[in-house]
Amino acid sequence: MRLRALLAVALAHLGGDRRAALVDAAAAAIGAAALVLFVGLGLGVGEAARRMFPADARLVEVVPSNVGLGGLLGGGKLDDAALARLRALPGVQAAWPRQNLQVAVAAAEPPRGLEGAWPPGMTLQIPIVGIDPGLVAEDTRHGVPFLDPRGDEPIPVVLSRRLVEVYDKTIAPTWGVPGLPRGFEPVGLELPVRIGLSIVPGKSERLVLDGRMRLAGLSDRVPIYAMAVPLETVKRLHARYRRTDPGYGQVTLLAARPDDAPPIAAAARRMGFGVDQSERSTAERVGTVVTITTGALALLAALMTGLAALAIARSRAASVAARVKEIALLQALGATGGDVRAVVLIEALLLGGAGGLVGAGVGRAAGLVGDLVWRRVMPDFPYRPETFFSFPAWLLAAGFLVAAGAAVLGALGPATSAARVDPARALS
Amino acid sequence: MISLAGVTRSFHDGTQELPVLRGVDLEVAAGELVAVVGASGSGKSTLLYVAGALDAGFGGEVVVAGERLRGLSGVALATLRNRKIGFVFQAFNLVAGLSALDNVLLPELLRRGEPARRRALVPGALAALEQVGLGAKAHVRPALLSGGERQRVAVARALLARPPVLLADEPTGNLDAESGAAVIALFDGLRRDGTSVLVVTHEERVWRAATRVVTLVEGRLS
Repeated sequence: MRLRALLAVALAHLGGDRRAALVDAAAAAIGAAALVLFVGLGLGVGEAARRMFPADARLVEVVPSNVGLGGLLGGGKLDDAALARLRALPGVQAAWPRQNLQVAVAAAEPPRGLEGAWPPGMTLQIPIVGIDPGLVAEDTRHGVPFLDPRGDEPIPVVLSRRLVEVYDKTIAPTWGVPGLPRGFEPVGLELPVRIGLSIVPGKSERLVLDGRMRLAGLSDRVPIYAMAVPLETVKRLHARYRRTDPGYGQVTLLAARPDDAPPIAAAARRMGFGVDQSERSTAERVGTVVTITTGALALLAALMTGLAALAIARSRAASVAARVKEIALLQALGATGGDVRAVVLIEALLLGGAGGLVGAGVGRAAGLVGDLVWRRVMPDFPYRPETFFSFPAWLLAAGFLVAAGAAVLGALGPATSAARVDPARALS
Repeated sequence: MISLAGVTRSFHDGTQELPVLRGVDLEVAAGELVAVVGASGSGKSTLLYVAGALDAGFGGEVVVAGERLRGLSGVALATLRNRKIGFVFQAFNLVAGLSALDNVLLPELLRRGEPARRRALVPGALAALEQVGLGAKAHVRPALLSGGERQRVAVARALLARPPVLLADEPTGNLDAESGAAVIALFDGLRRDGTSVLVVTHEERVWRAATRVVTLVEGRLS
């Protein structure tokens, strides 16, 4: 009941000075909107960057050494013995080798169902890399088994997600063919290929086999320049075409924990191998930029929220100074200093809460407008994000709570001053 | 009901101590309306605030409605003001943003320890407003009431709470003859019901209605 009375008095005060209340609520709304918009922008940019430059902090890419010293140290060639040694390194959870196919593969016909997306008469040379199925196990659970096929079964392939994006946004427009239909599900798509056929004159094999490749999934763990097939398929084709074992072009090591990756990379180097850090360092640079950008935007939002709190503090202080007689009257009627303090804090909470609610909505709406403008102004390109913002529910709640909290924090000083009003002096 | 014995109060002006009350002895019994008169600056309002538990910086002994003020905590003083003392000030009696009805209800709603529902209190508050002739203006904000009506709302607040002590500081100072007479009549009614009424005034019409008049001269009663 007393709380209701204090709430009624707080509402009466706010109603009595609507202009100041509106200004305070607007200040809180600006703080909340800035927080929601800027942090939403930072999160959105981060998500877009991670889609563009996916990286797993637990992966270490080991490659043969570029210099002869690797061989002197017992490293250099990545063969089964080296693979076993790498697999035995402390902290290594899994090791997935890759081997490039030394036999040319070409496609002269479009994938079935995508005939319109293939320029007439085009023959496409396809680089093939054999990979351990474990590397893409998470990405090949769509019904097409990623295993070396038997008989006339199509060869399962995994494509880089980035390749699909680049094809859709860059290659298809360049070829003058339509991109992939919206919502197109590529898994299961079949492409007729000719194994042993090269578009370079004189480089085709004597034995050219007709075959089919069936898409088993899309993955960020396969190279953008090649189609990935099961490692056993590559080994089988090398045997069929009598190629000597070229060794592995790369071994991907999975560390048990992200912290294990650097010592594993160092150990691989000590064994005489190289470590390809190009993707990781790109992702790390992007991550750093995103972190700094998000931090700067959050700092800016915090600054604006702080300024809002200061504005509310000044406004509440002025309001308390202007109504010392009313505060004294409340005390005469039985309000304690604590009650008076509570009235001022309730006022701030109401203003900050209302401002926070509106501000969170305004921040969200500003993001929508920003995306709308972005989509109209910017041309299409690979990985062009549909949105540069991310507004999880917790962010909207944080915008509301931070604005309300900042308002209450700003009102602490004025509330204490109000609680200390001397009623006898104020009423004299 | 009100007992002041050897009450002193002084203020610092930054350089020296300025005594305002210099040993005041005063008793106001139940059913008595005592008017305190005196020149401006004689300490009338200070005496009222001390008796009303609004000014704790006094010397001497003050007992109000059976409660000895010295040593009471801030919460205890607030509770005493809420339950046992009614106030009517010269000018500032109402919370601007609340209706006349809510202003009358306010002390009841601020009451500690005895939760009462607003709905249950409203009939009594409306009756109190009727009693002061403002039943039709229960939902009007103070800004739309005349000075006399505001004073009567403050009296209605006291009528609802029925405190044993009513303190008034120049309650008719800003009122015309008719409004002033109405307020005085209400005070007299409360007195007859057993309330101890202490009124600080410089108006003859008030002290003529008092059962006793005391004069404060340079901080002392004469």
